[in-house]
Amino acid sequence: MRRVLRDIFSFGDRPFFERIVLLVFVVVVLIFPWFVESAYARAVMIKFLLFALFALGWNLIGGYGGQVDLGQAKNVGFGAYATALMMLHWRTPFWLTVPVGMFFATAESFAVAYPMFRLRGHYFAIATLCVALAWKELFVFWDWTGGARGVEIPIRPTPNFTYMQFGEVGYHYFIFGLFMAQFLFMNWFRKAKLGYELQAVRDNEDAAASLGINVTGTKVKAYCITAALGAIGGSFMTVYYLYIDPEMVMPLDLSILIAMTVMVGGAGSIWGPMIGAAALIPLDMYLGAWLAGGGYYGIDFIIYGFIIMIIAAYEPKGVWGIIERIIKGR
Amino acid sequence: MLLEVESLVKEFGGLVANADISLELEQGEIVGLIGPNGAGKTTLFNCIAGYYKPTSGKVFFDGNDITAWPPHRVAKMGIARTFQALRIMPLLTVEENIIVGAFCRTANRQNATKNAREILELVDLTGEAHAFPPELPIATQKRIELARALATKPKLLMLDEVAAGLNPLETKEIIQTLIRIKEESDLTLFLTEHVMEFVMTISERVIVMAAGGKIAEGPPEQVAREERVIEAYLGERYAKGR
Repeated sequence: MRRVLRDIFSFGDRPFFERIVLLVFVVVVLIFPWFVESAYARAVMIKFLLFALFALGWNLIGGYGGQVDLGQAKNVGFGAYATALMMLHWRTPFWLTVPVGMFFATAESFAVAYPMFRLRGHYFAIATLCVALAWKELFVFWDWTGGARGVEIPIRPTPNFTYMQFGEVGYHYFIFGLFMAQFLFMNWFRKAKLGYELQAVRDNEDAAASLGINVTGTKVKAYCITAALGAIGGSFMTVYYLYIDPEMVMPLDLSILIAMTVMVGGAGSIWGPMIGAAALIPLDMYLGAWLAGGGYYGIDFIIYGFIIMIIAAYEPKGVWGIIERIIKGR
Repeated sequence: MLLEVESLVKEFGGLVANADISLELEQGEIVGLIGPNGAGKTTLFNCIAGYYKPTSGKVFFDGNDITAWPPHRVAKMGIARTFQALRIMPLLTVEENIIVGAFCRTANRQNATKNAREILELVDLTGEAHAFPPELPIATQKRIELARALATKPKLLMLDEVAAGLNPLETKEIIQTLIRIKEESDLTLFLTEHVMEFVMTISERVIVMAAGGKIAEGPPEQVAREERVIEAYLGERYAKGR
């Protein structure tokens, strides 16, 4: 037990400067609402933390596992809809809906995982994409889930911890808490047996099998854990936006953006997801809004695409790979 | 009897890669498997380790019928192997490569790390522990594979052409490492090589394959004199002309 706790909180194996940067990051996020008054900037920060959270989860299958899963939005949707529907129909408190969303995401992933992992590489990516799209269509045409109109959560007049409704500052600390919990989980995971096994499978399946690792079993486990982590962020989206529809929580764009965040930041590293979210979300929220304000819709997507092309061509390990190289070259 | 292969046949379409192979390995033996390129040595290894399903025949290990078991279950039973073409995990450090092997017997990271460090020392890799394998020479990468296989604490270690691509000095070093490993444990070694010299110096017993079949078996000096073996290596004319 003590050993597990030490693995969760210890960054002792990382270089000194990385630990300092992490500390600075945590302190800056903690005091952020005290010195930034702008509601828009606060919303950008919350969206950054939300996507950093999504990226952390996807990094498990996509980074450590090396499986390009383009269906994470379905798991976000399961989390979001579990929270929304249980609150709407049965007035269930938020914290009871989260495990239900995680359970559905895990169960669905387990059910589709075995046939899916008979496929490799691009074919696997296409299969994940199709499954996610099929679920989205189902939610669009299903009346009980509100169909394409979506679900609205009744607004509470006062801050409320049962349904997790409060002001912008409250949401800031709420998502930061979720983010840190997931971040520390990943810090434990990368040192755990399954973490090592997953990386071995990514690097060489034959070698992994020769060391007693069940290749398919390891992939399935990673796929299911990733699903559960994605659902947590979905639950947050419901109580933060107070309105969800399939086009918002389950679209293809979301799956791709999550995968892209990790790849831009650096797949398979502990810092990559945060770096990716820090690079893409402010770009989207500021540059995109500024260009759209001038009537130049879509220019930000061209810039997006350009950044991704550059990184894919020159540094497959993403921004973190570039940083690491600079440090080592010193 | 540690390993017993019973009339194993492996066909790929019309090609018979292993034709009715039977062999036995005792606990603690060092057995060499030799034969020219394409004799079916690696196919036999793959059938034993579960990478190929034999067309017919049986494989018994430690009293269990392990025929056509998946590779990870065979590894858990205690058969470790290295690959002829290197299969290193390139994004993990040398030490992490070996820790993955050590996780085969323990779920505890501290124990796995401890075992890995002991093995690093045993194969003289302590200095390279934090390097990434692709940065290292082939001879070192071969050592990493050997170390990784040892980390799974096998009863039987199968080495597939561990000396291929090494110069004579490096070959000598790896022989010394293997002898040291043997001194410290009661490991059974089963090794293939198409370079005779390597197998002849280390093996207590040699099995010779040619064109998918087993053609000879016995102590190295005796096997080297057999006409069929010379024929398989050098061709009919040389054998007759002697």
